Amino acid sequence: MNFFIKHGIRFVFILAIQVLALNQIELGLGIQLMVYPLFILLLPVELGVFPLLTLAFILGAAIDSFSNTYGLHTSALLTFAYVRPIIFKAFAPRDGYDPLLETTIFAMGFKWFLKIFGLLIVIHHFWFFLMEMFKMNELLFVFQKVSLSAPISFLVCIFLQYLFVNKSSEK
Amino acid sequence: MRNFLAFIRRFRVLFFFALLQGFALSIYLTFVHFPRSQYLTTASVVSGAIFEVRNDLTKHFNLSENNTNLQKENIALMESLPSSFIKLNNGLVKINDILFHQQYEYIPATVINSTHDKRNNYFTLNIGSKQGVERGMGVFSSKGVVGVIHNSSDHYSVVKSCLTESINIDVMIEKTGQFGLLKWNGKDARRGTMSGVSNDTEIKKWAKVVTRGGGNIFPRGIPVGKIEKTGVIEGKPLWDITLKFSENYTSLQRAYVIKNILRTEQEDLESLTPNDPAL
Repeated sequence: MNFFIKHGIRFVFILAIQVLALNQIELGLGIQLMVYPLFILLLPVELGVFPLLTLAFILGAAIDSFSNTYGLHTSALLTFAYVRPIIFKAFAPRDGYDPLLETTIFAMGFKWFLKIFGLLIVIHHFWFFLMEMFKMNELLFVFQKVSLSAPISFLVCIFLQYLFVNKSSEK
Repeated sequence: MRNFLAFIRRFRVLFFFALLQGFALSIYLTFVHFPRSQYLTTASVVSGAIFEVRNDLTKHFNLSENNTNLQKENIALMESLPSSFIKLNNGLVKINDILFHQQYEYIPATVINSTHDKRNNYFTLNIGSKQGVERGMGVFSSKGVVGVIHNSSDHYSVVKSCLTESINIDVMIEKTGQFGLLKWNGKDARRGTMSGVSNDTEIKKWAKVVTRGGGNIFPRGIPVGKIEKTGVIEGKPLWDITLKFSENYTSLQRAYVIKNILRTEQEDLESLTPNDPAL
């Protein structure tokens, strides 16, 4: 039950931050802040792929319904959720993941977080902007958007964890 | 059969992913061009209501600027009232004749949600079909054209703004009357492009561009912007024109929806034209 309450609160919270605050910040140069993949990242490691994809679909559809993107965020988040187990397996620690630990930056360390979440968020952003353009001749513009947006989204994700994740209880 | 089931089981994750992904992408690709429902947009009741609350909180940020604009508009309207004219010819009496019929009505609206940084930007208005808004109506503000209604629910509507890829509003250069289509390349919210102007004529810089009034959406003469730059398109006899929009879409709050009373009449008439059998 604890699991449902915790992730339920997180779901609403991340949805509200993304829709009411970050969607309104428009920095120019095609920069777009997207932090909602953090919710999928922080789900337990041992969670199966089917619930993972279903949750990604629900969160993506919720964000789409608030930002007039008609399924674009859903598509990118599904890709994120599908790739997550593959990347987790590829970069697993020597003796596997501790099922008690959450995959926050405090529990896993900055290096792990930079490697895994950095890679995942670049994949997510690339897919998002590629589908948004849907044209190969604007590929350079897609790369510009990804290379500017992904680092900033990444920093905001770290910032959110420092603000809202209880550091001592995670250790 | 057993092999087939084993095959399905082996790739079941991939199938599930492809199913959901296909669903999401098909929604995206169809809804951008042909909107059918309002469930996944800000025209739905839940998200519309939430954005209305947020707009109540944040609308004061641009209050002084908006007030100045409204004041300017009021002055322009007051100047056109009969009371602000001196009567020069006392012999004429105005009677309600049949020479002038009202063709356009305007519905005031507030923009409660907007973006300007995406590839296709949509604005949400706080009025809907209960107030008479329908798909395909034009939207403009006191400074210039805003877009076309894309989708509307009972109390909210979504505008496809000038900052979308396929907005295609009929525009013309005010002085010379050359016409073309308004487009947006997705990079700068202050600048758009005008396509389809042939390069056998000269085009003056900073010439005013207004709506053409075709397509029964906008009346003629709503400002769009000014020509900032002209260039040559390789291999085509057309100008590549960059416009500076007269409206600043990044701080837009008030807009008007245009209701064309004679729209059905014009459409009925145009539908009587026989189709080209060669097509």
